[in-house]
Amino acid sequence: MIKKILIVDDSQVARAIVKKCLPKDRDFELTEASNGQEGLQKFKEVRPDLTFLDLTMPVMDGFDALKAIKEEDNLAVVMVLSSDIQKKTVEKVVTLGADMVIPKPPSAESIQEALTKAAKLLV
Amino acid sequence: MNISPPEQKFSSDEAAILQEVMNIAFGKASADLARVIDIRVVLNVPHVELIGADGLLQRIKEETKVYDALSIIEQNFWGKFTGSALLAFPSSAKKGLISLFDDEGEEVSPLLEKETLLEVGNILIGACVGKVAELLGDMVSFSPPRLNPHVVISNLAKEAVSKHLAGAGKIAVLMKTVFHFEDKDISGFLFLVANQDSMEWLETALNNFMANF
Repeated sequence: MIKKILIVDDSQVARAIVKKCLPKDRDFELTEASNGQEGLQKFKEVRPDLTFLDLTMPVMDGFDALKAIKEEDNLAVVMVLSSDIQKKTVEKVVTLGADMVIPKPPSAESIQEALTKAAKLLV
Repeated sequence: MNISPPEQKFSSDEAAILQEVMNIAFGKASADLARVIDIRVVLNVPHVELIGADGLLQRIKEETKVYDALSIIEQNFWGKFTGSALLAFPSSAKKGLISLFDDEGEEVSPLLEKETLLEVGNILIGACVGKVAELLGDMVSFSPPRLNPHVVISNLAKEAVSKHLAGAGKIAVLMKTVFHFEDKDISGFLFLVANQDSMEWLETALNNFMANF
């Protein structure tokens, strides 16, 4: 069961959209970070069941954050949530260990799909 | 993000929504271009600013001042979302840009140079503006793109870009993103300028966009 979710995105609006797309009938513990460096720090503190990670961010981008998170915990479930949907970008993040790539803006359906996949990966 | 005078019509929330809409739209545009040239376009965080239209050219000068001269592709768009898009590359990057499209080492003629720049502009501007409009529930029409192949920054005059961008006392929303091509020393700037006539619609559309979630 997914309980703890970390949302890493420099855009407060993007983070709000993810929160709005989460199922309303479930109770999540949400943590937010506004860049990759803060995301990595929050990851270490919270140990989330699922991380939604943007790519284009200041300070530390999502590529470096993903790499660092996977070095910290190779089994971490990380879903990249990005407007950068280029084929080479997707290939790069999958190589780095992303479990799923969700194009922005997400929908309730794409977030539900991510939750379902994350739950399976955690079993 | 800067929200500056003269008349602060946008709230910071609305500007933040527009920044995210721009981010999504430029992601779509870069994916469209990457499909054509098979090179990853590296994106930066977009910037949204409310600015007096009469200060617009000065702002663009400031943003691009590290270069001596630019090649500028300009395209106007209109619908409920109305304004102009300017895609600017350093003039020194022209040959590099052409090489992204030309596998056969064809000699670079002025015509090939012009057509390449217009094509890049057509893809990036069309996809980006089209996606902004789509996300905000509008559909826009475009003027044919106009190329100014060599604009010296220090002389960037109002004539270099569409006259309707200027206008004393008017306000424009300036959306800017900087990008470069991976493994290539080529950077570019995309400026979208929504004019004052779009402002009221834009505010409503941005709030409607968030209400969709």
